Amino acid sequence: MVLIAHHTGLAKAPSMATLAILSSALKDLRISQQSLPAISHMSKRNASHQAQGRANKAKDGPGKRLGAKKTGGEYVVPGNIIFKQRGTLWFPGDNCFMGRDHTIHAGAPGYVTYYKDPARHPDRKYIGIVFEKGHSLPQPAHAVRRRKLGMLAYQTPPPTQPIDQVFDALGPTPSISQLSPVAVKKNSRGSTLALRPGYQYRQANWEIGREAEKREAAMQEQGKTTRMFPVFKPKNRFAAWRKSAARISKNAETRARNRMGKAKK
Amino acid sequence: MAFEMRARPLAKCIKCTSHRSLTLPIRSFTSAARLALDVDTGATETQAPPPSTPKKRDPNTVTTAHGERQLLRNQRLMPIGSRRRRAAMQQSGLPFSELPYQCFQEAREYLREDRAEKLEAIRIERERIEKLKQAKVSETEQSRKEIRLQSMQRQLEELKILADINDPLVKKTFEDGKGDMNKPIYRYLADRKWRSYKRRVLIQRITQMNVVPDVLPSIEPVVSTSLSFAGRKVAHGEFVDSLISAQAPKLNIQCYDKGKRLVTIAVINPDVPDVSKDGFGYRCHFLACNIEISPTDTQVNLSKLVEDKQVVLPWLPAYAQKGLPYQRMSVVILNQSGPGETETRPIDVTTIQASDKKRDGFILRSFVNRMKLTPVGVDLFRTKWDDGTAEVMQNAGIPGWDVEFRAKRIEPLPYQRKDGERYR
Repeated sequence: MVLIAHHTGLAKAPSMATLAILSSALKDLRISQQSLPAISHMSKRNASHQAQGRANKAKDGPGKRLGAKKTGGEYVVPGNIIFKQRGTLWFPGDNCFMGRDHTIHAGAPGYVTYYKDPARHPDRKYIGIVFEKGHSLPQPAHAVRRRKLGMLAYQTPPPTQPIDQVFDALGPTPSISQLSPVAVKKNSRGSTLALRPGYQYRQANWEIGREAEKREAAMQEQGKTTRMFPVFKPKNRFAAWRKSAARISKNAETRARNRMGKAKK
Repeated sequence: MAFEMRARPLAKCIKCTSHRSLTLPIRSFTSAARLALDVDTGATETQAPPPSTPKKRDPNTVTTAHGERQLLRNQRLMPIGSRRRRAAMQQSGLPFSELPYQCFQEAREYLREDRAEKLEAIRIERERIEKLKQAKVSETEQSRKEIRLQSMQRQLEELKILADINDPLVKKTFEDGKGDMNKPIYRYLADRKWRSYKRRVLIQRITQMNVVPDVLPSIEPVVSTSLSFAGRKVAHGEFVDSLISAQAPKLNIQCYDKGKRLVTIAVINPDVPDVSKDGFGYRCHFLACNIEISPTDTQVNLSKLVEDKQVVLPWLPAYAQKGLPYQRMSVVILNQSGPGETETRPIDVTTIQASDKKRDGFILRSFVNRMKLTPVGVDLFRTKWDDGTAEVMQNAGIPGWDVEFRAKRIEPLPYQRKDGERYR
């Protein structure tokens, strides 16, 4: 029955082991005692140990080479690695600093000291550097701190001549007309046009920028102006509105005129 | 209306549909002007709107931030007193003490009774002090009597504060900044306010910047100080431009216990480079004695002190040479009284030792011990090399403006070749 259920339900061949068990159980019930071929010699063991995933506990990875790189009393120079750690087992004390991965580095030349400073923190361990072999850390609370300058004084060279004085020494700057008579032209308004990069006779950009101002100044002398509107004041909304209204009406007029012209054609 | 609805589908969207009879100012297809307002618009178009005159505001009653700004901008006036006071002024013309709230008045009555009690206690305490002063005691009992008198005096001062501490008018006056520093209650309130925040900041600055072990072994500030250069206040420990700190600052020293006293002011730089020693030394930038201060007399202009009676070392501009780290300029206020003394004593400036008149190598610790002074206040500002430093040093005739400091090269450790085993 079990066998049938196996066959019908799962439609899967029973394993050799199952067949062996069943055949031994049915042996006594069998009438003819003729021997059947033994199943046991046909059986085969397949792998039953999972090889992938988290079947086994993760083993120790490679060592990370953490720990003290310099022992107490050893001489170090700035930048030397004193202690490599994960997290802050040790904190940087005097003349030391902590790197990106909590590594303790030396900040001054001297001798490494491992110490505790209850006045600073009750249970933190510090690594510091003392300048002399005999010194100890932490430094006494009310005494002047031991510090090193670690610098040398150099005489700076006398200051160079300021740029404007250099130009004065060179004399007046030659104007464009003096540079070469061939490379200069004049336009209809009388402004000078120089041969500029790209083989163009034109004014310099800064001169173009000044042109409108110059013309306005010339008109002002005659009591006229080149401006269509008075000088723009950004906060004067009333003037801005009037201006835009004038522009809109002018545009409408032009459009109407154009339309009429087209209609005639 | 119906025509309008058909003509203008937008009109359907008007929210209030129940007021159908209401004629809305919607222009239908008419050529004539509908409203008188429309006719005018053509004429008004060309005229400028009337210039808006800013509203006049009362500096006594303006309460909003906007109003205060407008007052400052348009009338060039500062609002008077606190915003709370101004709000009260706005609401009623009644004096604060006569506000018609029953609970308030009953509370005032209760406080009045309490105050009467305290005043009675003060009277009794005074009598007891007098009696003890008159009492004759043996030589051995004399010190005990002194201690007893001191503690009774302390008790009396405490009672004086307790008598006024709950008075709403006192609180109001203090908050308006009109407290009289001659009265113990206002001194007490000002002290409490200073200790609540500003003193903590000061303590933090002087400990984090190590003024405390470097300049003096320890200090417990009891007077508040504020430093100002050319009219601008400088926070404790702020960087001050060397051009600005070339002139002597003004110092505001506020003490919170009664009476006049004489103080010594010293400005010490503990970060003076010493290349030969490969370390740091001290320099005194300013030293003056016999400066009288009291709770009401707080301003000290360091440049306007009497030459031969007060100033020992006149102001030397703060400077830090090029390449050096910043230098701390610590201002220390020292009471001219020893640890046990109650009264301050004047110092004869002419008798100050020659070693104390030297700026370089001035050690404040030994000066304090020798002259028997007590540190009562501290302030701090910092200086570093900037564009004006060379000019300031040249103007003051200080050598070394063209000296640059650079880090000393430190020889790297010799490379240790590991034994050959590793490289196989």
